[in-house]
Amino acid sequence: MGKKKRPQDDVNGNPNMSPMIDCCFLLLIFFVVNATALTVSKDPSINMPSAVSCSELKDANGCIVVNIFADPDKMSEKAVKKYNETYKRAGVIWGVADSNEASGSKGFTQDEGQLLSDYISKQKEFYKAKNMDEKNIRIYLRGDLAAPWERTAGAIRCAAAAGVSNMVFGTLPSRG
Amino acid sequence: MARHKSRPVEEQGEPEMEISSMIDCCFLLLIYFLVATSLVSEKKLDVNIPGNPSAGGTPPPVEPGRIDVSANGAITWNGDMPVGEPYDASAQPGTAAYKAQRHLDQLVEALKTLKEQAVAVDTEPIVMVTGAPSTPHQRIVDVMAALAEADIHTVGLNTTASE
Repeated sequence: MGKKKRPQDDVNGNPNMSPMIDCCFLLLIFFVVNATALTVSKDPSINMPSAVSCSELKDANGCIVVNIFADPDKMSEKAVKKYNETYKRAGVIWGVADSNEASGSKGFTQDEGQLLSDYISKQKEFYKAKNMDEKNIRIYLRGDLAAPWERTAGAIRCAAAAGVSNMVFGTLPSRG
Repeated sequence: MARHKSRPVEEQGEPEMEISSMIDCCFLLLIYFLVATSLVSEKKLDVNIPGNPSAGGTPPPVEPGRIDVSANGAITWNGDMPVGEPYDASAQPGTAAYKAQRHLDQLVEALKTLKEQAVAVDTEPIVMVTGAPSTPHQRIVDVMAALAEADIHTVGLNTTASE
């Protein structure tokens, strides 16, 4: 009896992976862009306040971020460590992002309001040079929930002196 | 004559790239970004600081509202109406005390009334918020949230000279 030959599969069982990879890359690019567009420089030493009716920060472009710190005794241990590592001096109540500094941040004490004002003016000019509408240039106040109001008010005064009157209070959505 | 056994030449198909590891990487990155973007992100409360009223000359048609926040976080509307309890930093999220701290319903109602009055004469309402120097920032943000809820964005911010 002759052996029957098994019919050879002529259908290729390998799925075509290219469309799936294309989709993955598209999603990847979408999330990369989405994640970077809304980034403002965030200082981890700040314990953000929460608010019930806050809205989404859709565009961080034009935001001049000013971090407002609480007294170190009101910060968590981790936050104090980070704060000391970043600013390396006592009495810093305002912090801003500054690429010229080794830590990437620059701190100002209560008596250095004029320096903060100068920094805001410089940032404002930077955005204006990029043809940004002046009303889109805003101060993004990232205040610690335990920071005394006089520090926030001081930062607002410095901004007003630099000619910026649009403020954005950074918050987290309320959990209650 | 010796017979040379010729080795059968292995059929070499088209060269294929091993893409499974690349797909693994892609999925890992994808999951990372999915998680990273769904984390709680910061939100905002917009405030416009009004210009110097003396520069404009004409007084506003509707009397500006006044919110005072004392050093302990108690809030009063127009000088005499208490609209917020003192601030309790120990209130935990999810508790009734925390909810009461964040939702300033009486203040929102008063602000909505002011807004209606201003809209009736075709103008924008102005509210002055005055905080004691040591008022916690969270309490001012609660007031800002009430203002945002009442759709008022022109806010004057002051600090009292003393506690």
